[in-house]
Amino acid sequence: MARPATSRLDEEALAALPPVPDFVTALRKGAFEEFLALPIPSQETEEWRYTDLSDLDLSFAPFAPGGAARNLDEVPGEILEAAGVVGDRAGLQIQRNSEVMVTHLDPELAAKGVIFTDLDRAALEHPDLVEPNLHALVPTSRTKFTALHGAFRTGGTFLYVPPAVTVELPLQTLTYLDADGAAVFPHTLIVAGEDAEVTFIDRFASPDLSRALSDAIVEIYAGPASRVRYVSIQEWGDGVVHLGIQRTRVGRDADFRSLAVGFGASLARAEAESVLAEPGGTSEMLGVFFADGTQHFDHRSEQDHRAPSCTSDLLYKGALRDRSRGVYSGWVHVRPGAQKTDAMQTSRTILLSEGAFGRAIPNLEIEANDVRCGHAASVGPVEDETLFYLMSRGIPRAEAERLIVFGFFNEVLDRVRLQEVRESVSAAIEAELARGA
Amino acid sequence: MTTAVTVATLEIRDLHAEVEGKEILKGIDLVVHQGETHALMGPNGSGKSTLANVLMGRPGYTVTAGEGRFKGEDVLGLTADERARRGLFLAMQYPVEVPGVSVVNFLRTAYQSVKGGDVSALAFRKHMKEKMSLLGVEDSMVNRYLNQGFSGGEKKRNEILQLAVLEPEIAILDETDSGLDIDSLKQVATGVQQLIGPNLGVLLITHYQRILNYITPDFVHVMMGGRIVKSGGKELAMELEEKGYEGIRSELGLEKGAGEE
Ligand SMILES: Nc1ncnc2c1ncn2[C@@H]1O[C@H](COP(=O)(O)OP(=O)(O)OP(=O)(O)O)[C@@H](O)[C@H]1O
Ligand SMILES: [Mg+2]
Repeated sequence: MARPATSRLDEEALAALPPVPDFVTALRKGAFEEFLALPIPSQETEEWRYTDLSDLDLSFAPFAPGGAARNLDEVPGEILEAAGVVGDRAGLQIQRNSEVMVTHLDPELAAKGVIFTDLDRAALEHPDLVEPNLHALVPTSRTKFTALHGAFRTGGTFLYVPPAVTVELPLQTLTYLDADGAAVFPHTLIVAGEDAEVTFIDRFASPDLSRALSDAIVEIYAGPASRVRYVSIQEWGDGVVHLGIQRTRVGRDADFRSLAVGFGASLARAEAESVLAEPGGTSEMLGVFFADGTQHFDHRSEQDHRAPSCTSDLLYKGALRDRSRGVYSGWVHVRPGAQKTDAMQTSRTILLSEGAFGRAIPNLEIEANDVRCGHAASVGPVEDETLFYLMSRGIPRAEAERLIVFGFFNEVLDRVRLQEVRESVSAAIEAELARGA
Repeated sequence: MTTAVTVATLEIRDLHAEVEGKEILKGIDLVVHQGETHALMGPNGSGKSTLANVLMGRPGYTVTAGEGRFKGEDVLGLTADERARRGLFLAMQYPVEVPGVSVVNFLRTAYQSVKGGDVSALAFRKHMKEKMSLLGVEDSMVNRYLNQGFSGGEKKRNEILQLAVLEPEIAILDETDSGLDIDSLKQVATGVQQLIGPNLGVLLITHYQRILNYITPDFVHVMMGGRIVKSGGKELAMELEEKGYEGIRSELGLEKGAGEE
């Protein structure tokens, strides 16, 4: 296991990070100041009401080496295994701890101008694409943790798809963490040009650790009439605190679809936001969550309609077992002038144990009059009737519950069109449900 | 040399059960052997489904007296899955929709649970296909989500497919003929008929004589007010058809039970 050199988030550690282009250095400096100035988010505020980080000890090592590999054959087996079912992929990048080990991209796509690489490297080689976009959707000043991220981030993924280029197969990044006591700052920056099409899978995995921090940011620019699919599969081990923000700017007539799968971490707070910035955009946000033991999930979503004639749909499904907690809060904002908005938000949570706690808080804020908006939320146990039906066929209770949850998640998967994505996610779900067996 | 043939038996003795503090079953005695077909008839609300549910272990019912033995073992304390694994089956009056779980996935999980051990996907497919062709079930049905959006007829046929695949020793069929049009009824009834034989004992709950045109019961029982008030051979069904439940009541000098129609 790699051992971090220092466990301080201080100026010295900042100075010791690998060198980056000037604009990133400036960003780091500014973010570090913000980090020092900002308080740990308080539970007194609405946004952090359900997650208490006041006792979070910030003595994490900000840089943990991961090493490099010349090709996938040099990547250790356990890391490849964590990459999950990798069927056909147009590209695969593996980051271990703070460093990207290896990146592979189909040369035909590279020839078409697709860029898929380490974010630091992209900052050096493609500053024109990185500088205007990095932290433009999620500013470092947003919270103490986004500031921390801005200051100490290394590695990360940059994906650029030029206008009118279609990438048929998914690209994938695996971020693997095995440095106990480390903080990692996964960052995915996706820029899709006009009429481009791409599917990207972000996978996060680690063994169980005594403590670690994953402070993650995803920024997605879906250009006009682009079709962008973003899938995240979070399978951190126990001991990891995961704080993630995903924010997408959906351009004119763009079609953005995301699927968030959350299984891991001791505490996971995941925010997913779609800004419908120009007319005709579509955003679909799907989510599948399963918590057990004493896991704590705090999921938040925002469908922000700023332009007319956009459609957004959100469907989150979660199952909570043992003494886990899951809170979902969702916002639909329809800004003045965003007429002909069609927005729907649905969250369903199944409680599999008496000790599990689930809550759903839907919010609609509508400032236009010609709109169609709706929300539906439910939290409750598996229906006795369904359980009895399956058990009456000889299926033991635990297995019957698994089957019900599998079916419950399957309804979300049915909305995923790409076979390769469905297979990966389905395998991850089956593995997760079998784990507690 | 002689071979001892042991036949699975469901023995119900003086069974009393309540729902929400109200006594519904008021002393049921009934014995069903593997290989026999029993028809259980009775007016709405007389307790037929309650009996079926109590025997299968549906939560919400309290047995207050009596016993239910299957193959000599008192099964009333067992969970539903344990009873099913011992060879009991209940085709439900109202099958439940299970979203996202395909019939084939469900059937394979159930089959593995009942048969124990690992059954290869291939072996299971073959077994299921055999039963499907026996019952005339088309492929499309097993790939759909369990009962979701199924018509009344499809739901009932699906129950019979489960019965065929799981091969229990005693099956209770709760109004498997209700809500079916003539063609569906014929399909379901001939399906059940195919399965009836020395290895299967059936307790067929029904309101109608018409299913008995396809399935000839060895015994007919009439249930009223939570009791079996009369038993006989297949001619009892004809008698019921003529006289109605009112006729039986006046013959036996019975009052209409509470909640009974
Ligand atoms: N879960 C329940 N909760 C409350 N009452 C119940 C429940 N199950 C059965 N009962 C009551 O028990 C009595 C018998 O019902 P049951 O369903 O067993 O009748 P049945 O003979 O199957 O009638 P049907 O022919 O209409 O199916 C009725 O009065 C019914 O209201
Ligand atoms: Mg009934």
